[in-house]
Amino acid sequence: MKKLVAATLACLALAGPAAASSDRTLDVVAPFEVKGPDPALSGAVFQRMGIAETLVDADIDGQLRPGLAQAWSVSADGLVWKFPMRSGVHFHDGSPLTAEAAARSLRIARDKPGLLDKAPIAAIEAVAGAVVVQLSEPLAVLPAFLSEYRSQILAPAAYDDDGRVRALIGTGPYRVTSLTPPMSLEVARFDDYWGVPARIGSATYRAVGRAESRALLAESGNADLVYNLDPASRARLAGSATVELLSAPLPRSLLVKLNAAHPFLSDGRARRALSLAIDREGLSRAVLRYEAAANQLLPPSVPLWHDPEAAAPGYDPEAAKALLQALGWQPGQDCILRRDGERFSLSLTTYPDRPELPLVATVLEQLWRQIGVEVKIHSTNSSAIPEGHQNGSLELALFARNFALVPDPVGTLLQDYAPSGDWGAMGWRHDRFESLIRGLARGEGGAQQRFESMAILQRELPVIPVAWYRQTAAVSRRLNGARLDPFERDFGLDALSWRD
Amino acid sequence: MTDRLSRTTGRRGSRRVGALLVLAVVLFAWLAPWLAPGDPYGQSLLKALGAPDAAAPFGYDHLGRSMIQRLAAALQLSLLIAGVAVVAAACLGVALGVLAAARGGWVDRALVLVSDSLLALPGLLLVLILSALIPPRPLAFGAGLTLVLWIEFFRLTRATCRSLLASPGVQASRLLGFGRLYLFRRHLWPEIAQLLLTTAAFGAATGVMTIAALGFVSVGMQAPTPELGLMMVELMPYWREAPLTLLQPVIAIFLTLLGLNLMAGGRQA
Amino acid sequence: MAATGYRLLQALLLALFIGVTTFAMMRSLPGDMAWRIAAHRYGYDLVDADAVRLVQEELALGGPLLPALVQWLTDMVRLDFGTSLVSGESVIGEITHQLGASLQLAAVALALSLLLGPPLGILAGLKPGGWLDRGLLVLASGLRAMPQFLLGLLLILLVSVRLGWLPAAGHGSAGHFVLPALTLALGLAALSARIARDAMAAVAASPFYGFARQKGLSDAQVLWRHGLRNVSVPLVTCLGLQFVTLVEGVVVVESVFGWPGIGHGLVHAIFGRDVPMVQGTALVMGLTFVLLNALNDALQRRLDPRGTGR
Repeated sequence: MKKLVAATLACLALAGPAAASSDRTLDVVAPFEVKGPDPALSGAVFQRMGIAETLVDADIDGQLRPGLAQAWSVSADGLVWKFPMRSGVHFHDGSPLTAEAAARSLRIARDKPGLLDKAPIAAIEAVAGAVVVQLSEPLAVLPAFLSEYRSQILAPAAYDDDGRVRALIGTGPYRVTSLTPPMSLEVARFDDYWGVPARIGSATYRAVGRAESRALLAESGNADLVYNLDPASRARLAGSATVELLSAPLPRSLLVKLNAAHPFLSDGRARRALSLAIDREGLSRAVLRYEAAANQLLPPSVPLWHDPEAAAPGYDPEAAKALLQALGWQPGQDCILRRDGERFSLSLTTYPDRPELPLVATVLEQLWRQIGVEVKIHSTNSSAIPEGHQNGSLELALFARNFALVPDPVGTLLQDYAPSGDWGAMGWRHDRFESLIRGLARGEGGAQQRFESMAILQRELPVIPVAWYRQTAAVSRRLNGARLDPFERDFGLDALSWRD
Repeated sequence: MTDRLSRTTGRRGSRRVGALLVLAVVLFAWLAPWLAPGDPYGQSLLKALGAPDAAAPFGYDHLGRSMIQRLAAALQLSLLIAGVAVVAAACLGVALGVLAAARGGWVDRALVLVSDSLLALPGLLLVLILSALIPPRPLAFGAGLTLVLWIEFFRLTRATCRSLLASPGVQASRLLGFGRLYLFRRHLWPEIAQLLLTTAAFGAATGVMTIAALGFVSVGMQAPTPELGLMMVELMPYWREAPLTLLQPVIAIFLTLLGLNLMAGGRQA
Repeated sequence: MAATGYRLLQALLLALFIGVTTFAMMRSLPGDMAWRIAAHRYGYDLVDADAVRLVQEELALGGPLLPALVQWLTDMVRLDFGTSLVSGESVIGEITHQLGASLQLAAVALALSLLLGPPLGILAGLKPGGWLDRGLLVLASGLRAMPQFLLGLLLILLVSVRLGWLPAAGHGSAGHFVLPALTLALGLAALSARIARDAMAAVAASPFYGFARQKGLSDAQVLWRHGLRNVSVPLVTCLGLQFVTLVEGVVVVESVFGWPGIGHGLVHAIFGRDVPMVQGTALVMGLTFVLLNALNDALQRRLDPRGTGR
């Protein structure tokens, strides 16, 4: 017991001021857990921490650029892609990067859920120092697919014989010194890095799930770089002397998914009525606390797809009521609309992982009640949404969709709306839209086709865009060179340095 | 001697204070919605985090919902779940306790073993596991808490009944040929009843605390249900903007637990 | 020896209960579960039907009930909890890792509480009714009405954010220990202070204590020779009661402070329907608790050989 007491005292003595000591390790905090060394599980964190890299990279504007591949080329028929490897690149265990190692990594990644397993890939091979991908049909966005975190290239020694990832051995500017799932990761500068070496010698990553806790960590100076701040904390931190707030628009939208096969929602006018009843301005001011009202699916941060001339979304509960009346709905005694003895009552599924979603849901419930539509909120695990989509039981769902898993949103659009997808349209089909998107994915068409397809979505409303997201991070004022990547590929660690 | 005397009177006094506190909380929970009519779910975003006014004497939360309404609804929910669980646990515990004491033998040993083994599983854990098993949360909490709380009732009843059943009074009644029901009503119940109140108050405190703790670590009630732990999490980011709003559920739970604990008297653990 | 046997039986029954419940959990939500696991594994807004199909194949749910239950329980007895449905790592490996962090926290908290509670209680007990005694009573009742998460929240806001003295959450340096350990310790200290106070007051009022003072021993000598040993017996009994608070506290406090221990792991596993992890964690927590109680029994017998019947 005495020893224990002594140890406690020692701990306490060390604790106080030592906690703020300048050991100069960069502390990064974000909500994403480190589930294990497999890129399919937590590759996003590894990519952002600069541990593992992909064949193709993207810059801060989302333009593709060479990564571990020097360049890329495609055959005339669009079926054979060639990615010659960069030379002089070493993995963290000292072994050289070869086309064979890269091809193996990609083949293993393809066996796991992700983008590659859905792409029409016939074979991935190493031929004369290049990775060669054979397709069964053309896919113009293949380089973008290969820039995604699940397509990371790891060293041969990282895998066991069954292709399971046993250790995280990448090529990035930082190498892992300790990986303790689910909450922390420590890295140190990799001196043999092929590019410009990082300036800060070591960094830690901590997964902190609760938004309030993250904000407190930033506020109390216990973390240098804190990602995904909630709206309320953002307002509070804006006046802080220790941190600076960075904010960037994200290609992520807050959407209401509607089951267009549902008898209440099958008519486009009913979907329009629900959209007209949403006070987007008020909602984004009150809940998200920035101007983010969405008048189309994709935000201005995706300039190729965002139509700057699109009309404002409009908030007109009276027009919404009129539309529903034209469809035969009449208000009942409890102010809820009725038709043929049925009440206009639907369930709205959402999930609490993003703290603003249940809040937005409660606001939507009130707004829709004003036009006589009753909504029961069902805040549960996020998987209830794709599950309800698959078994057809879903009525309404509220979620946030990232359109830039790969820098080009066409992949996501193809998956979600041509004709339907777990996180996109449900019970909806539009031939013109489908042919436009399929063409764009093959590499045919340009701005006109893109805007036309987006206009179709906004007219037909298989989903109702509600708001666009912004990423907000708190950066310690002791740091220089912090920037936010709107495509959420990078924490930008290699560009950071200490101020003094 | 005087010390003991003053302590018993002191204890009785603090029990009375506790009972009054609990009564006040219960009255608030059921009367407040009636005094300041409204809806715990109804929002007016313009009034988000607004100061108290006539319609909402306790101010508004971050979505402009009346705090008095939400507090009352949250207290009702917690007290109802805890109350139902305590009643169920008391029935179960007393029945099994009397059975174990009266029958003895292997019935007794088996029941004691089961209760001891369940006791080895921390209550919070038990409620957590059940809430993963039974989807509707209030039901899961009720069932889980019952499963936690019956043990205490069981142990107390069993211990009391064992000594009572061996007492001369009961032996005499038995010899006189009185039935089991009479034995229970005449000899056992008056003794057990005294213990019940203390145990029940303590059990209710455990219940209220568990529900709030699970809400706070996001495995309890789901938004937008008004629940004390959940309300604290929701309001925590606004602590600098609206500290008094955050303080309200904190005070509510503190007073409830203080009242129940005082009612339970100097009972430990 | 009989007591040890009884504890063993208890542990066995506990294991059986956990095994059957987690098996029921595994079986009760098969459709929903594959979805939840996939969501937890691949990210909450990336999950799709393909990922779920893979998870379903991997889990191989289905088949007749009884043989599956027997297999499940046999695996458990062999301490083979399988692999986590989320990370794919072995459950036992993850748990041993987490258990280390939890035990560290619990030990520091317990030591801290013993440093705070009993000394204050003894001082109060020496002068029953004095200002320290009264103050302590009010403080203890206040602390008991303060759930741990509330205490944690207040400590974070006050010490960490307002004053900026200590980290609000996380794990790694000694500074990270203070707030979670203090949160746990304050509740424990309130209880042990009460018990020490009552025991000390009883001892101080006893004839042998008065006699010892009449013999001419100094206050400190009397306290040392006659007071402490008699106070220690109820304190050790109380230690047994504190383990519940400690184990439960670990679940809540770890979640609040983001401490990577077994309690945090459990909340997480339940949220993600990671049944093997739930099973392993619940079992380890339950068995640790039984073990602690058994040790406490033994300690009690050492301190008070007169023996206490159960």
